[in-house]
Amino acid sequence: MESPMAVSAIGLQKSYDLAEGKIEVLRNVNMDVGSGEFICICGASGSGKTTLLNLISGLDKPTNGRIIVLGEDLTGKDENFLSDLRCYRVGFVFQSYNLLSTLTVAENIAFPMEWQRVAPRQIGDRIAQLLESVGMQQRANHFPSQLSGGEQQRVAFARALANDPPLLLADEPTGNLDEKNCERIFDILKMLKAEGKTVITSTHDAQLLELADRIHYLRDGRLTSQNE
Amino acid sequence: MSETFFPISDLLRRKRQTTSIILTIAMSVASAVALLLFCEKAGFGFSPRESLLTRGLSAILSQFSIYVGVVVFALGAVVTSFVAFLMMTQRTKDVGLMKAIGCPTGLVGGYLMTELLLTTVIGCAVGTVSGIVVDYAFSFIGGFEVLQRPANYWLCLLVFVVFFALALVFGTKPILSAARLSPIKAISSINYFGTNVPKNVQTLSGRWLTWKVAYRTIVRRQSATLRIVVLLSAVFFLLTLAIAGGTIASGTTVSWVETTIDENIVAVANSKMAEQYTLLMAKFSGVVQEEDFDYLDEKLGVSNATIQQISSVPGVVIVESRLITYEQIRELRNFTIDPETLATVPVGDSRETKSIIIGIDQYAGGAKWSLRGRMLDLNDSSEAIIGDSIAHIMYSPIPAKRIVFSDPLVQGVEIRGKAFQIVGVCVDPVDNGHVVYLPIQKLKEMTNTDRPNIVFVQIDQSADMNSTIELLRGKLNAIDSNLGVVKPADLNGKNAEFLQATWSRVMVLPFFALVGATLCLIGYMTTAIEEQKQEFAVMRAIGGKTKLVTRILAFQSSTVLFSGFGIGISLGTVVTISVLMPNPVVTSGAILEIAAWLLSALVGMFLFTLPPARSIAKSSILRGLV
Repeated sequence: MESPMAVSAIGLQKSYDLAEGKIEVLRNVNMDVGSGEFICICGASGSGKTTLLNLISGLDKPTNGRIIVLGEDLTGKDENFLSDLRCYRVGFVFQSYNLLSTLTVAENIAFPMEWQRVAPRQIGDRIAQLLESVGMQQRANHFPSQLSGGEQQRVAFARALANDPPLLLADEPTGNLDEKNCERIFDILKMLKAEGKTVITSTHDAQLLELADRIHYLRDGRLTSQNE
Repeated sequence: MSETFFPISDLLRRKRQTTSIILTIAMSVASAVALLLFCEKAGFGFSPRESLLTRGLSAILSQFSIYVGVVVFALGAVVTSFVAFLMMTQRTKDVGLMKAIGCPTGLVGGYLMTELLLTTVIGCAVGTVSGIVVDYAFSFIGGFEVLQRPANYWLCLLVFVVFFALALVFGTKPILSAARLSPIKAISSINYFGTNVPKNVQTLSGRWLTWKVAYRTIVRRQSATLRIVVLLSAVFFLLTLAIAGGTIASGTTVSWVETTIDENIVAVANSKMAEQYTLLMAKFSGVVQEEDFDYLDEKLGVSNATIQQISSVPGVVIVESRLITYEQIRELRNFTIDPETLATVPVGDSRETKSIIIGIDQYAGGAKWSLRGRMLDLNDSSEAIIGDSIAHIMYSPIPAKRIVFSDPLVQGVEIRGKAFQIVGVCVDPVDNGHVVYLPIQKLKEMTNTDRPNIVFVQIDQSADMNSTIELLRGKLNAIDSNLGVVKPADLNGKNAEFLQATWSRVMVLPFFALVGATLCLIGYMTTAIEEQKQEFAVMRAIGGKTKLVTRILAFQSSTVLFSGFGIGISLGTVVTISVLMPNPVVTSGAILEIAAWLLSALVGMFLFTLPPARSIAKSSILRGLV
């Protein structure tokens, strides 16, 4: 089914069965994100921001409800389909960077392109372009352990954008960074907004909120918008 | 919680790892115990018991068992060292946390040492019991009643003590390293114990990032990787030695036994003599002959008339008369010139023993053996061929008794005051190699006997064997109802089967080590997976498919496996060739069999590493990202 929206969440519910009882993380979440929109999701720690982003990226499955991402209903889709979706159409930036420690900066960025069988020369050009856009040209051959947190996060953005996905999800991208590095990430997100990418980010960062077309709040598993 | 109960409860909590470690140690101990008990009962190597098989064959099997035993013990040391290393690797983060909250190094070392001692004691105990069970099974499966002798259980204690000592020696170093590790290093995922930050890592190519991840992870875990490669090399070395050496040696020695008598030969003798001949053949497999037997009893003689009747049976080609007696024999000393001092030195001594003496007709050409030396000269009646057991008993140097040089082929043997020059040493199952062959005419003269007491009848290969034997039986019944027919080839076939079974038992023991090594490899892979769990989850989170993870892990396991295989097989082949007996019988079938076994072991080990890889590839991405 085709959807004009980049992301549509319909009656989304996510709960975990623990020994102590059932924990409802998301309750009847409904959300529409238009193509090219910049959305911020705010909420206290444990309010379900990361869970919501995980569900949108297909990393996790809802207990109830449906998610339609870039026109694809993720309900019942198999692991291979979801892998392809994350590889080509949805970029994901983790709060803790999650770079592959065995690969250099350039290789980390090249990794998702490798599976697309892109020609080596094109991969090289794309790496150079992405490194320049995140200001990491001098660090191409360094390993993640040789980078600061802010630098690792910038590489994580470059990797998420490697296959030029129309949708980017960023989970508290400035959560672990100092002010100077936050500004650099802000610049990258600003650039992405200008390019017309759809961005959904969870954040507490006031500066990032300035970029938002809309801000959603998660409280007790329920999503409310800025106006509410 | 006390210093003792903390490690116990910790071991119980990690049931799977603990069981795997205990089983790994147990496998090494079990193979060592079973090998030693088998050799001791069979009289091989160190055993003071009278050996099964002829002395020559027993010496070859003993040598083989010693090589296998030495490698099994060496492998035990490598396995124990690896297991201790693996235990410490799995506990490194816990060690870091313990030290971070103030636990002193001595106490951490105490916990880890207690864990090592507990797992080793349990592993050695389980292995010892398993080894005894295997030995018991060896005795009762496949007609090895002769091995149902009481075992020398002190050997079990010896193995237990040796492996326990090996565990202490080789396990202490990894424990000390773990206990002394700084908490920050132990907690850090980069400076993980047993892993190293890559230095000057060479990129393989501009692409192939999947392989780069796999390769660099192996390099980063170089300490663990080196250890598992050493362990796998030792296992494949042992397997090559056991399978290649065993298969070739087994094939060769079995062919030696088989060639002593042709399929188309039957023996005719008085039924008592036939029974005695059967007993003489059965002594090869440990059957004990108790009562005295008068070989020269006139009633046992086969008359010329009978021999002529046998010759007239259609299908009979050759009739060869033999005379079997039991005599005291004496070694005849010889002398030689020492090439260095030019002094005259004695060769041999004047040792004596009792032996079966068989007079054979050189002209009939019925006697065929695998021989060191040559056959009896047709024109010389003063030559003898001795069995390999006699050669070992009477013609071996014994420096303690000042018998420095001894070689049967330059010495002689004295029987009933007559001297014979020894021209050959044969492998013969008759009386388990305690046999001397002489020209029959000479033996008849010496014993004042004019009739043979057994006749070997060769039947035409084109004739029907069974109907010819029936004809022969009918004719013999008409002459003398006491005459019986036995098929020496059938008796010899049992001996060959027994020899084959003996080899199989020694050859099967290294497979215990293979199981132990497989457990170690699984342990290595499990640890590697644990360390890479988060990275695999990240790969899948950014779009990598499950087969990518499986491919990386398969590359890692196959790299260590093939490295170990290559090193082990190469070393094993070199050693096997250099220690193998002269003139081995190597058939294309044997080579195929060896290759099939070794490749099966390789493929089997590889397949066992796949389930953990598949399991992590299919596990929840989010669980890995935590």
